[in-house]
Amino acid sequence: MSAQRRTSFRSSRPRVAATLAALTAAGLALAGCAGGSGGGADGDKTLKVLIAAPQEGAGKILEADFEKETGAKVEVEVVPYDQIQTKAILDAQSGTNNYDVIQYWYTSVGALAESGAIEDITEWVDGSAEIDAPDFIQSIFGPYTQYEGKTYGLPIDGDMHVLFYNKEILERNGVEVPTTWEEYTAAAEKITAAEKANGIYGSAILGAKSAFNIGSSFFNRLATMIPGTIDPEMPQLNTPEAVEAAQAMLDVAPYALPSPLEIGFEQALPQFLSGNVAMIEFWTDLGTFAQDPEQSKVVDKWGVAPLPIGPKGHVAGALDAGWAMGISPNASDKDLAKEFVAFASSKATNEKLITTTGSGVDPIRTSTLESAKYKEFAPAVAAVAAEVFPNAQSWPTSPEAPEMLQSLNDNLALMLQGSLTAEQAMSQTWDAWQKLKG
Amino acid sequence: MTQSVLTSSPGRRARRTAWAGRTMLTPVLLAIAIVAIYPLGYLVASAFSESSLGRPFTEWVSFANFAELLGDGVTFPSLGRSLLFAIPSTLLALVVGFIVALSLDAAVKSGRIVRVLLLLPLMTPPVMVAVIWKLMLAPTGGLLNNLGQILVPGSEPFLFLGSSPSAMISLIVVDAWQWTPFCILLLYAALQTLPSEVYEAAQVDGAGVWQTFWKITFPLILPTIATVLVLKLVVSFKVFDLVFIMTSGGPGFDTTVSSYSIYRTALQTFDVGAAAAQTIAFLVLVTIIIVPLNAVRQRLHRED
Amino acid sequence: MSQLLRGPSPDEELVTRTVVVPAARRRRTPKHRVASSTRPGRTSAGVTALKWVVIGVAIVVAVLPILYMLGMSFKSPDDILSTRILPSRLAFENWAAAFQNWPILTYLRNSILSAIIAVIVALIISIPANFAMARLRAGGKQALGLIVSAYVAPPIVAIIPLFILVRTVGLMDTVVGLGIVEGLLLTPVAVWLLDGFFRAIPHEIDEAAQIDGCGPFRTLWSVILPLTAPGIVAVSIIVFILVYNDFLIPLLLTQSDASQTLPVGIALMQGGREVMFGQMAAASLAGIIPVYLLALFAQKWLVGGLTQGSIK
Repeated sequence: MSAQRRTSFRSSRPRVAATLAALTAAGLALAGCAGGSGGGADGDKTLKVLIAAPQEGAGKILEADFEKETGAKVEVEVVPYDQIQTKAILDAQSGTNNYDVIQYWYTSVGALAESGAIEDITEWVDGSAEIDAPDFIQSIFGPYTQYEGKTYGLPIDGDMHVLFYNKEILERNGVEVPTTWEEYTAAAEKITAAEKANGIYGSAILGAKSAFNIGSSFFNRLATMIPGTIDPEMPQLNTPEAVEAAQAMLDVAPYALPSPLEIGFEQALPQFLSGNVAMIEFWTDLGTFAQDPEQSKVVDKWGVAPLPIGPKGHVAGALDAGWAMGISPNASDKDLAKEFVAFASSKATNEKLITTTGSGVDPIRTSTLESAKYKEFAPAVAAVAAEVFPNAQSWPTSPEAPEMLQSLNDNLALMLQGSLTAEQAMSQTWDAWQKLKG
Repeated sequence: MTQSVLTSSPGRRARRTAWAGRTMLTPVLLAIAIVAIYPLGYLVASAFSESSLGRPFTEWVSFANFAELLGDGVTFPSLGRSLLFAIPSTLLALVVGFIVALSLDAAVKSGRIVRVLLLLPLMTPPVMVAVIWKLMLAPTGGLLNNLGQILVPGSEPFLFLGSSPSAMISLIVVDAWQWTPFCILLLYAALQTLPSEVYEAAQVDGAGVWQTFWKITFPLILPTIATVLVLKLVVSFKVFDLVFIMTSGGPGFDTTVSSYSIYRTALQTFDVGAAAAQTIAFLVLVTIIIVPLNAVRQRLHRED
Repeated sequence: MSQLLRGPSPDEELVTRTVVVPAARRRRTPKHRVASSTRPGRTSAGVTALKWVVIGVAIVVAVLPILYMLGMSFKSPDDILSTRILPSRLAFENWAAAFQNWPILTYLRNSILSAIIAVIVALIISIPANFAMARLRAGGKQALGLIVSAYVAPPIVAIIPLFILVRTVGLMDTVVGLGIVEGLLLTPVAVWLLDGFFRAIPHEIDEAAQIDGCGPFRTLWSVILPLTAPGIVAVSIIVFILVYNDFLIPLLLTQSDASQTLPVGIALMQGGREVMFGQMAAASLAGIIPVYLLALFAQKWLVGGLTQGSIK
């Protein structure tokens, strides 16, 4: 019996091993194959659009409106914002070509262009009067679409932070709307000391370790503290102003909604809307949420102002988040895809979206920024936006940007946690960035 | 039917059996090839090359990825944190599970309902477990801090997830919360199969409660404890959802366990080669821990 | 001794008989109290009370977060932010809104369907394999270990190559594709748990079948399968639950609403600017209820399954 057993075992082994080897080889071959036939070439015109979750509302509107106007079918796929880049690159490079139009976070424009996930559309954009490229807010158009002098997309959502404040809380504590970061920290300290027992805090700092949160808090300060503008190739972290910016975050953290490291925009927003926070740096659409009686307890009790500035800085803002749309090089119908992108970034569409609650979209064109409809829809916000958007400053957009931002976020989080000083956070990030580039 | 017995020789039957055995084994080996061997091959190939997300295997770099591992200050700490998480969580779930399992026999009449209620944490998708607990532990508006405010009004909120070491402790507790029912179930079932004759004999001999437990129950249940330990440990090493949703590896890096660190490297910086090397390091760690424990487990089972 | 074959169903009778097993720690009974062996169901009142305390605490701890989620699903956005523990009014609109805003029924369908497919796949592969290893002695000692070790590694390892493979064979973003992949991934678990059941049957039965002229396949199908049915049911339930609750694999292998599963759907609800926690809670509960019902009706099988599966 045992002899039999050994025989059957031994003779099955090599055959099984051969099968396994063949399968593995096949798998590797498939994996290494960057090109190859893509799936999904359908005869009918279905446009597949990749949309980020924060713009889901806008995505649905775009889908409906585009279908109405052109009759073409649109399929929108909504994806968490931190997955967009992964999906776009994998899609393009694995040759499976699921998407025709890709909404991307502007900081990844370099990475996406480098890896061939979005196409060079310079000629089309320059040549089309309809697109009206000069109408785009230039401080946005540059970072969002340009890589090595070529155009890779069109902006669809501005996304800047401005300072929202709760008028009542400021008044009863005798605090003026701060115009410098020093005043801001002092105001937060005063209010928190007075009202902490009631669960009310002077400020809410977004410190959660995702780029849109902790990164925004930092770049808000960097943009308004450095004398010039942020260099999208290599933001100037090696300057004293950068250290001051990081320090400003650290200074106000003890007086902010507990605890900054745990606070992302989904935690901070409801707190402001229920009147527990005096000041918050947030995207402009907070203005529309704040006026919605179903969600907000602070209707008509809030105000908006440009972000405070540093001693050497000027009124500005940072492009925290911010979205553009590009075309996949493997799109089955490029003309239709281009039509969609032009549609999404057109004056009419942008104006419609910025005056719709829940769309999550900001102005991207000078014409819409200054339009009467916008001013009517959100007067306070529109006024501040008009002041700040032309001075918008960009985060890094080079191909190494994703890794740069991760390194920055990590060090800022360590700083907020108390493991690093502001200076160390900046110098460590700077060193890491140099290594990435070099 | 007896005819076929007479006409087929033992040798032929044995060969048919062997062939049948191989055939029946083939699907599972195919399955392993697809979900284990192929990815492992891909993993090893990536670890030895320069790979990014969409452009795998662009360049053969031999051991460069591994060398970087040693000095990057990220991999080894994350491996340590995986241990720091898995071992306490396992022990906690095991001890608590055992105590509850021992007590469950008192709930004979309402047994079914009690058992289902106790199973609830295990039935809940880990994503939702993470979301609920994150809300419960939140500094403002979270259940635990709310209770704290009621007991001690005006006190500072306690940062369960925003400070260390409570962030790691919170994760350990939540993971144990979810998996204790698993331990309860297995241990309770094992307790059910213990023969009662031994107990009756012990009682006739006049053995006390404590003695009975240590000299009879515990040794008999030891094999099962070992099995549960190994199973739970394996599960704990794989933790991802909890970290992803509750702390994002923070504060700072304090809860960045290996699986989360690999996720970051692969899907946030897209350095697949480095992620693959990290994964191999992780597999080595898991193997080092699990293999001896499993050997002990097998020996305990055989001793019956 | 623990190899006494009691079969997989935990009778209540069984419970009464082994109640003699005392609880470990603090004891309030005198040391040499003789528990009657004619009434094996009785222990001292003190020990029983202690056990009930333990059970009570365990139930509270187990159920509290679920109750919290239940409460949250009935809280208006207002309530959620305030420090109130109970809702001030029952916000039924959360439930209505949750089903309106998100395709919860679709998610549920996808979760259930993919889990069923996974179970079928896992069973089709593992039953013959278990039979072969346990009764035909194929594969020797190593096969089981090799198969089970495939489950030990975290799925992160397998994600990228699996993604590429599934994409290439055209099963990306389909419930069927997801089910198949999950079934393959969970096959090692099925094999591990079924091993006990397949080894528990006495060899005489196989030999009797052989004498009757059954070949291995026939033996499996007509003889062994019916005998291992309870175990197979138990293992199916366990695999179902594991697949139903999975997050990472469905996250990466499905992209559209039409095929995403509930855990992924819930996670996606967090992506937007305004997170409606009440609705999320309602959606989560709606998704959990099928699994809870399954547990309620099937828990007898569950205990049996795990008994045989791991005490081996």
